[in-house]
Amino acid sequence: MDKNEYKKIIKYKSPKENKLKNIIISFFVGGLCGVIGQLLTDVFNKCLHFSINDSYMLTMVSFVLIGSILTGLGFFDKVVSFSKCGLIVPTTGFAHAMTSAAMDTRNEGLVKGIGSGIFKLTGSIILYGIVAAFFISLIKVIVG
Amino acid sequence: MIYVNAFIFCGLVCLIGQIILEETKLTPGHLNTILVVIGCIFSGCGLYDKFILCAGAGATVPITNFGNLLVNGALQGYYSEGFIGLLKGLLVNASAGLSATIIISFIVALIFKSKN
Repeated sequence: MDKNEYKKIIKYKSPKENKLKNIIISFFVGGLCGVIGQLLTDVFNKCLHFSINDSYMLTMVSFVLIGSILTGLGFFDKVVSFSKCGLIVPTTGFAHAMTSAAMDTRNEGLVKGIGSGIFKLTGSIILYGIVAAFFISLIKVIVG
Repeated sequence: MIYVNAFIFCGLVCLIGQIILEETKLTPGHLNTILVVIGCIFSGCGLYDKFILCAGAGATVPITNFGNLLVNGALQGYYSEGFIGLLKGLLVNASAGLSATIIISFIVALIFKSKN
């Protein structure tokens, strides 16, 4: 049997529906996050009378709180292994990355451990977010 | 109706993220960085505010909103104070989310111990 034939058989035999299943699960879990976020926003806006921008901000903070506490209790990795991107892309994933980095480096002390390690995973998000935002708004200001 | 839009929009962002993770060798850290930059670009084009109008929290829950908040803050700063406002305003809108994440993460890391 030559190599190409072997590759064909491997391609045919390896599970394909797994990828599709992951994609569908992340779509539904992500959508559910959006609906819960909208529900929380409506509660903050209509029941507690915050302005709409503050409601969006408080929803974000609630998601951060949920993500951090789940990470602290050790549940987050188990949930993510099922829900995949559905919980990584919402703000919970950002909170998880920061909290887990802080927890991993905590044994090395407050300054050298948590202090320098807390941005280990989220540092790239903050760095490229700020740099990209600065240049995009500069371009928009100059062009527009 | 806004609930349906929120479901579809937030789901689609997660679906795109999952496809990127499945088809390439990028890690979730790469993915979130890419999504924030994409959010910045959409916000710079003026599209992100329309997404928020249509999908509500469906557009503010994904991490792309972090890029949108940064660009919005910088532009608002520019319109009120000129070029120096670009730097002064960059973090204003995103401050709440970022500060909350840092403070909550720190407290959680102090309270809970990593199991590994």
